[in-house]
Amino acid sequence: MKQSFVFTGSGGQGIMSAGITLAHTAIDMGKHATYLPEYGPEQRGGSAKCTVVINDDVIVSPLPRMCDNLIVMNEVALAKFIDDVKPGGVLLINSSRIKGKIERDDVRLIAAPVDDIALQLGDGRVANIILLGILIGATGIVAKETLIESLKDKFKDKKPQVLEMNIKALDAGIEIGESSH
Amino acid sequence: MAEYHRSAMIADSPSGYCPGCLHSLATRLISDVITELGQEDNALNVISVGCSALNLLYWSGDNLSVAHGRAPAAATGAKRANPERLVFAYQGDGDLAAIGLAEIMSAANRGENFTVIFANNQTYGMTGGQMAPTTLIGQKTTTTIYGRDPATTGYPMKMCELISQLPAPAYVARFALNSPKGVRQARDGIKKAFQMQLDGKGFTFIELLTNCPTNWKLSPLQTLEYMNTNTIPYFTPGVFKDITAKEADA
Amino acid sequence: MGEKRFMKGNEAIAEAAVRGGCRFFAGYPITPQNEIPEYLSWRLPEVGGAYVQGESEIASVNMVYGASAMGTRAMTSSSGPGISLKAEGISYLAAAMLPALIVNISRGGPGLGSIQPAQSDYLQATKALGHGGFHAMVFAPNSAQEAVDLVYDAWEYAERDRNPVLVLMDGCLGNIMEEVELPPMKALSDEDLPEWSLTRRNGRDYQGTITPIYTEPILESINAMAGETYKAWEEEDVKVEEFLLDDAEYVVVAYGIASRVSKEAILRLREEGYKVGMIRPITLFPFPKQSIRNLDYSRVKGIIDVEMTIPAQMRDDIALQVLERCPIHEYGRSGGCLLDDDGVYEAILEIVTGGNDNG
Repeated sequence: MKQSFVFTGSGGQGIMSAGITLAHTAIDMGKHATYLPEYGPEQRGGSAKCTVVINDDVIVSPLPRMCDNLIVMNEVALAKFIDDVKPGGVLLINSSRIKGKIERDDVRLIAAPVDDIALQLGDGRVANIILLGILIGATGIVAKETLIESLKDKFKDKKPQVLEMNIKALDAGIEIGESSH
Repeated sequence: MAEYHRSAMIADSPSGYCPGCLHSLATRLISDVITELGQEDNALNVISVGCSALNLLYWSGDNLSVAHGRAPAAATGAKRANPERLVFAYQGDGDLAAIGLAEIMSAANRGENFTVIFANNQTYGMTGGQMAPTTLIGQKTTTTIYGRDPATTGYPMKMCELISQLPAPAYVARFALNSPKGVRQARDGIKKAFQMQLDGKGFTFIELLTNCPTNWKLSPLQTLEYMNTNTIPYFTPGVFKDITAKEADA
Repeated sequence: MGEKRFMKGNEAIAEAAVRGGCRFFAGYPITPQNEIPEYLSWRLPEVGGAYVQGESEIASVNMVYGASAMGTRAMTSSSGPGISLKAEGISYLAAAMLPALIVNISRGGPGLGSIQPAQSDYLQATKALGHGGFHAMVFAPNSAQEAVDLVYDAWEYAERDRNPVLVLMDGCLGNIMEEVELPPMKALSDEDLPEWSLTRRNGRDYQGTITPIYTEPILESINAMAGETYKAWEEEDVKVEEFLLDDAEYVVVAYGIASRVSKEAILRLREEGYKVGMIRPITLFPFPKQSIRNLDYSRVKGIIDVEMTIPAQMRDDIALQVLERCPIHEYGRSGGCLLDDDGVYEAILEIVTGGNDNG
């Protein structure tokens, strides 16, 4: 089945890295995936968006207008992209930064304070991995074990604590995702 | 008295250079040095645009003819692709100091291991004598009919002085071809530059002060005198940089 | 079976170039193609090649000119504004009959335009890559994999024709990550060096001259030879994908990213019973004239030119083959705004249901 994911936020929030990890994991599972980044001209702090399409078959178009899953890291991105998730789709928001009312009642809303959870775990940088965990828990799009393999590969040159922290973040996310059913 | 002979790299055909033009002499010096160094088969002449392009007609070695001002870029590609070749570019002043300023400065700054020979005759010869970046103050050209006025056209560019400020170049020198002594020095300078290239020392730059009887509207002999009284006082001949001199001191 | 990797389109192009024999690259930074020079800056030295960051696009293409003259497989890449600067050098490559690969990862235009993807350089690529009335073969892949395949063999065409080859791909496909299967490294030796190259390595014992300057009658004959080459391309080298044309009443013509978005829309329209097909030029020059010319116009009611640029640039090439036998409609997004599945679907639906007669 074809599933699309749009990750949005600002540069430096791990948006692109989350998208690549998801697409990579899908490919490791034998699926097809495309990852398309879109940035502003700024290196940091500008708007960041990436689109991931995962399918069992070859992906024809990598440019859906409406996505099945919209992941939003801050209020600026929410205002810009809130209409881009299909009715019935998943809207996953970072409630550490998004406080206002969500003007969509036709979507499956998952609000999680991923920045706060990441800080509680001890590393603010793993917020994006918590998001991936939530997506796995909520949609089962990829297998946790395969994602851990791809994290192992990504952090192979780092200290083992980095991988441990990321796995902790992933588990925390999966728990939130599963309890959102 | 030395017997005249046609230099080995120069084909048996008319050059196309005007009578009394020092391009002919410059080309001959390069040819003689290449022969002395035994590099006839190895030398690659990167030919620029302007009167220098006439080299295509009578240079008998390998030629790569390129776009106006781009010789240092093309030479960069050629030398990087085939480092064993002796690569030199022969450029005039419009080519090198106006349209090709970015290319010459950047090649020099990268320390590319080839040689640029810069013929400075203070005019665009082939297109009919317009002002060049090196035209002297007060010098009349077809685009400065009352003489070059620095208020609107700035000052003649001193390329050796500019290039020798860069850290990378290995040898930077200027010679005047209007006297036998200058010719001998130029010949030695070209030989030194080529040898340094063969030794992998990096970027070498030779500026040759030349003339243009046709566009200066002087007889060949008068141009030589004009160079003494006008060109040489502004463009001082000499060695501006030589990394091997430091090596010799050490 | 080749080696599979999840790669960015730009990086896939760079690796395919190396495997296709590229040993020299010069370029200048410009978005959205920066991954090509970045990748080759470390990759080429690994295989004994050379990478130079040029001081400008002008210098870079002239470095390629110099390297190519030595028989080295050489390339440069840029985006629209930089390709305009390279125009001089590309024209000289064609004049001096030097092979080279030029890659344009295109963005919104004209002028500085937008750094976001667009298909705004079709006319530049196919009609006038530089002054003097020459052409380059233009490949327009629609996936990272197809880019790999076309780049890998680009020098086979460039050296055969002694002419530059252009790969035109928009910023979307340059930046998309997809799985690609990489071909093996081509084993090239000194014996493969073209006989005209200015290297001593192939044992040449005569004077070598490479020049863009000719006497008038020779230039005329070279112009005529180029004309013959372009004709031969039309007969032998057209690459095109024809999709669901057998019963099509409406035919989309689209290349690159626009063809992928269009195909998605067409599959959806087919499910709803609309007979829509597609012609996808893979070579933009030579243009697949026959595919469009030979459609059954007693059945085809309309052609729809879908491009990620406004106004559509391929329209005249299509019109010359349609010859007023049916209307030509156009749909596009531009300026860095992207095409999307729903947008193309709605635009085609409106046309096939009669909402729009002549674009």
